[in-house]
Amino acid sequence: MLSVKESVGENRSTRAPTLELHEIQATVLRPRPAPYFGTHVLLRVDDARAGRHFLNRLTPHIASSANWWNAANSWLAVGISYAGLEALGVPKVSLQSFPEAFRVGMAARARQLGDEGVNDPKNWDKPYGTGQVHIGVSAFSDSEEKHRRALAIAREQYEGFSGVSVLGMQDFGAQPGDRNSLGYKDGIDQPPVEGSGVEPLPGQGRPIKAGEFILGYPGEAGFPLPMPQPDILGRNGTYIGFRKYQSRVAAFNRFLRANGNTEEERELVAAKLVGRWRSGAPLTLAPDGDNPAIGADPRRNNDFDYANDPHGRQVPFGSHIRRMNPRDTTLTRLTDVNIHRLIRRGSTYGPPYDPNAVSDADDEVPRGAIFQFISAKAMATIEFLQQEWIQDGNFIGAGNERDPIIGRQEEGATFTIPKAPVRRRIHGIQTFNVLKGGEYFFLPSLSALNWLANPIGG
Amino acid sequence: MVWRQQDKENAVMTTQTVTVNRSEQDLAPEQQLQKLREIYAGAPELGRVALEKMMPELEVATRLASKATINGRIGIRQGKVSEFTLMFKLKPGGANRLRTLLGVLGGNFQGADAVGTVHDMRFVLFDNDTRLLFATAYDGEWDSYIVDFSSKIPDPLDVLFCDCEGYPGMHSPKIGEYLANHQIQADGWYVASPNLTVAETKKLEKVGAAVEQFLDKVG
Repeated sequence: MLSVKESVGENRSTRAPTLELHEIQATVLRPRPAPYFGTHVLLRVDDARAGRHFLNRLTPHIASSANWWNAANSWLAVGISYAGLEALGVPKVSLQSFPEAFRVGMAARARQLGDEGVNDPKNWDKPYGTGQVHIGVSAFSDSEEKHRRALAIAREQYEGFSGVSVLGMQDFGAQPGDRNSLGYKDGIDQPPVEGSGVEPLPGQGRPIKAGEFILGYPGEAGFPLPMPQPDILGRNGTYIGFRKYQSRVAAFNRFLRANGNTEEERELVAAKLVGRWRSGAPLTLAPDGDNPAIGADPRRNNDFDYANDPHGRQVPFGSHIRRMNPRDTTLTRLTDVNIHRLIRRGSTYGPPYDPNAVSDADDEVPRGAIFQFISAKAMATIEFLQQEWIQDGNFIGAGNERDPIIGRQEEGATFTIPKAPVRRRIHGIQTFNVLKGGEYFFLPSLSALNWLANPIGG
Repeated sequence: MVWRQQDKENAVMTTQTVTVNRSEQDLAPEQQLQKLREIYAGAPELGRVALEKMMPELEVATRLASKATINGRIGIRQGKVSEFTLMFKLKPGGANRLRTLLGVLGGNFQGADAVGTVHDMRFVLFDNDTRLLFATAYDGEWDSYIVDFSSKIPDPLDVLFCDCEGYPGMHSPKIGEYLANHQIQADGWYVASPNLTVAETKKLEKVGAAVEQFLDKVG
């Protein structure tokens, strides 16, 4: 085992992991490096045999989660959409064993996801939602040079071969201070996975049953979720919901200016929307002013609950982090908060946040975040989160209000900041992050990749 | 009254078309009313007379947008509220057990209070105690929360529904599918406050009481 110093982030390996880490793709458990560099490559399989040969060449380069807490430098991950599984010639009986929402794809579930209006799939960037995205390969690295090498390895497996076409490439990377496109430090809170071999970070809560995140293990309900068949295809695999957002930085800046006269007031509004200062320091631990030292410390920046904030006067009920992980908040609806969690691998693209951007043209600059939401029931969980925790406010007693950061807002939308003696209600919330694309991918285990690449008799 | 399996299948079939009670929606309002008159030609006289007297009201209705939409797989939704109607065959002795249990509860459903989205629930034992009709109005979606129910309140639900034929138990992965298979969509449904959830109603009660208290002090 490695010493803490050599570990990535602040995860400490403790006892022997009970998961088959050498089978699970690294991206499931390995946190994003800081800083990070990477590329998502979207591919189409034009010929089943060529597609399988490509997978066969690629699979030896796909990293597993073995020793995932290592100071990992660089890794490749691969996901396959339902259309991709079809294009690879996966037998019908296997195809039919995938959940319906995965089979029809994210664009076809727009109604269930509330991806309407400005987020409607008809407004998405190509090739998302066209049914042509078959395989997604993601390269993550902690340095630009290692990233170039990782990407070159991926490229060697498809370039110069016929039958597999590149539809698009999206570079991403950490921005100064590890901030996202709206200027926040993000990706802080992740669910701890039971049996993965690490001790949860302070504030992460109790470990959640592995079956919520990886197929083949018991989930919170005590039994494993149904798996794609045969077992070798499903076991140790999982799903990724891939969602590309473009940040409307100017609209966001204009909103802050309209609601704060001084820099201090604007930063407070920005902090109330998320529940954290832009440094990452949570409002529960730094209610009166930013504390960048807390924001930067992984052992402190998530170490809180809402026991002392029952009225939301520190972290508003409607803020982004309290919606996405209500922790011990009393909700209006009976909810088991441990069964709606996702592992998030966010990746920021485009130019960094510009605090002075206020023009309409600035809103059109392609910059934002691509999220990879990982769960053994990613489709159901993303639909739940979209319907209940993002596009609605009833569960926290906030009526029609929506998530101020990733919600799609209607005209006249509001955001309530609880305060004594009277709450402040802010008007003019807009859709600050517009959905530009989305796909569901199956993230097979390493054995499943070999099974897909080398069908018996194939 | 005898419910045949056929009725249920028909009910499920009707949900395949997305509109509710407006299967005549393609028709112009005048044509809808004309068709209604033709169908009522076979009704008892008092029905025919009443229909004619209602014509102005019905004409208004045909010109309004239908308030009902389909919620998820099946069931009508109005605003934020949905109806959920289920029909089960009961095991021998099941009706008696359920009636006794409901008597003990005396309307104090703490599980429903905890759920926080249930407007009402009714349990109707019929067909010589061989069947159960369960009807409720609730906020939002039910199937997104089914695992939450299994996790948080399995016992109140298991004890109520254990005598329904084929009931797999709240901890079964098949529970969502089982309930969906026993759901029958209502053909008509009225909601007085379609935009008020249970949570909002409770909040308004609190706010109303606080306002009265305030007025007591200043008045």
